[in-house]
Amino acid sequence: MNKMFAVIKREYLQAVRKKMFIFMTIFFPVLMAALFVLPRFLIGRGLGDKKVVVIDGTGALGGSFSRRVEPVAPDPRKALSDQSQGELPQSIDVEYVDAHGQRDLSAVAKPYLDRLNSADKRSAKRIDAALIIPANAFEGSDAKLTFFSRSSTDVISQERLGSIANRAIQRQRLAARGISPGVVDTLTRAVPVEGVQLSRSGERKKGSEANFIMGFIFAGLLIIPSFIYGLETMRGIVQEKSERIVEVLVSSMSPRQLLTGKIIGVAAVGLTQVGVWLLIIAAVGAFGSAVAMDAGFDVSHFLQPMVFVYFPLFFILGYLSFVCIYAIAGAACNTDKEAQQLVAPIQMIMMLPWFVMFAIITNPDSTLSVILSLAPIYGPITMFVRTLVSEPPIWHVILSIMISIVTILVLFYGTAKIFRVGILSYGKRPTLPELWRWFKVA
Amino acid sequence: MSVVLSVRDVVKTFGAVRAVDGVSFTVQRGTITGLLGRNGAGKTTTIRMITGVFFPDAGTIEWLGSDRDARDRIGYLPEERGLYRQMKVKEHLLFLAEIKGKRGSSVAADAERWLKRFELWDKRDAKVEELSKGNQQKVQLIGTLLHDPDLIILDEPQSGLDPVNMLLVRNLLRELKDEGRTILLSTHMMAEAERMADEIILVHKGKVVLSGALDAVRDSFGKNTLHIDYEGDGGFLEHLPEVKRATIVPNGAEISLADGADPQRILEATIGRLRIRRFELAAPSLEEIFIEQVGAETMTMEANR
Repeated sequence: MNKMFAVIKREYLQAVRKKMFIFMTIFFPVLMAALFVLPRFLIGRGLGDKKVVVIDGTGALGGSFSRRVEPVAPDPRKALSDQSQGELPQSIDVEYVDAHGQRDLSAVAKPYLDRLNSADKRSAKRIDAALIIPANAFEGSDAKLTFFSRSSTDVISQERLGSIANRAIQRQRLAARGISPGVVDTLTRAVPVEGVQLSRSGERKKGSEANFIMGFIFAGLLIIPSFIYGLETMRGIVQEKSERIVEVLVSSMSPRQLLTGKIIGVAAVGLTQVGVWLLIIAAVGAFGSAVAMDAGFDVSHFLQPMVFVYFPLFFILGYLSFVCIYAIAGAACNTDKEAQQLVAPIQMIMMLPWFVMFAIITNPDSTLSVILSLAPIYGPITMFVRTLVSEPPIWHVILSIMISIVTILVLFYGTAKIFRVGILSYGKRPTLPELWRWFKVA
Repeated sequence: MSVVLSVRDVVKTFGAVRAVDGVSFTVQRGTITGLLGRNGAGKTTTIRMITGVFFPDAGTIEWLGSDRDARDRIGYLPEERGLYRQMKVKEHLLFLAEIKGKRGSSVAADAERWLKRFELWDKRDAKVEELSKGNQQKVQLIGTLLHDPDLIILDEPQSGLDPVNMLLVRNLLRELKDEGRTILLSTHMMAEAERMADEIILVHKGKVVLSGALDAVRDSFGKNTLHIDYEGDGGFLEHLPEVKRATIVPNGAEISLADGADPQRILEATIGRLRIRRFELAAPSLEEIFIEQVGAETMTMEANR
């Protein structure tokens, strides 16, 4: 027992002192959050500030492209377009050119298009895009808005400006048919959609794409450390073998003691990590939810008490399943290189829930999700995500936990057997039939 | 003297190869026993069975009365270094003692004593991988001894050591023996075994070909070996009719005499050709005995390794 403790202590201390552990513990949650929140945040902002020139052949849409509150103009057309101000995203800076009455719009546009490709990148005159609204935009059936930009992929600015222009044009068309500005405003007002998750108890929660993002973040927090520490465990075992440390160890204790000690040690490392993460998440919940709200969603939805129960629980279940599988791979191989080859296909198979995570998060109660959440090895991560974004029946949760525990016990038993034989067999990597024979004889 | 270790009819097969084929021997308390043989003879496999790394396919192994914790009273130095590269020296030593059931301040004090003796104290917080090969070997040796074992099993302990450290280890082993500890020393360096061992076990192709007290073994081969030191080229010696076999080294030779040969004839043959410094008729060296037993060709291969 004391010997096993010595192994646990060694494994634990060696692991938590590694830079990898410190990085994973402190920066990984931030990284995961950044990975999923940042792109959306950036997309929301149009990927940075843009300077756009709008050349308006109708001369009537200036208000829609202006952020300034102007005094109500006597011209009813202008008054109308002013209604829609505020649509313009903060990140887009519009230079409005009233080209009303100009016969040749392309001539007007020419100097601006030159500024588009201005060589001096720092120049204040350099613009990122130009939108040309033709004079016949209101009535011409073949009228087209033209969007010039340096990159063909700046679809977000194009989409935003195009929709602002179109809404303004629609208002103008309605106004031209004698509908008053107030009525136009009422008629064209968009109705926002609010997603609501209705729980079985009848409780209503605001659902949104934040659920979706959170699902991915938590799935990442759950699955990625399992891969990393699983790999570390495998490397550790291969190293002990290739450097014959295992001879000293096995001459002092039974292989089962050694393996048990290693796995408990690695599990303790994982739990430490999760403990720190939960503290970070709780801290974010307490102090930082305002920040998160700024980014577009309300963290408090996900900080319900059960997350603090389910997350460590499913984490440790998934983690131990993975670590056992990697331990088998380690015991069966003699060099890191061999182990990597063996592990690549295993890893692909184990990544399956991650590849279908989108489907699980968007359809947490589908047959696929249910099957995966009750499957060995895949169960912990899938079931956790289901509890996060939906409310699976409690018997699903319990069954999934039981299946995982049985899986881990079977894997541990098998690992111990293969460990006993494989750990000391030097030479070539065993074939699958050999591995099976080890399993039987050990 | 009491038996500390007894190995009886032990067999270990790897696939089609019988690495150890019915090996039996005993090790007496307070002796240094040399387990000799060329690499691949089955020394290491035998030792791994003794230390519990392998299970024998057949046969029995008993040590120290085989009580449950007897394993903790064995100190084992494997053939190749077996240390965690990333661990710090002192930390690693304490871990090795702990898996033998020893911990606490007395072990730490012992570790300090050993490290100082081996001139490693200033490297106690260095990682193992930062040490030279010889220093790693010394750390491994301390790890073998730190838990104060009664039976010390050393598999090629002097590999990777320079002459100074070899001397250090040699003196250490004698000291441990004087303290009443039992040492099983596996080596392919015959001269080294000759200097150290009280008893020898010669293993070849998985079988014990010779065993017993070193002196008795040597005496059993009779005093039919000439040890000659000289100046000059002694190459002609091996062609003399009285010579059964000669091992020629620069400025010296060890000559096995043919049956009934008169050593005086050899001395006569050297006159005028060599300047003799020593001419001694004695028991053969362990190396000669080894060659005698297992054949010269294997020894040559060994020497060329």
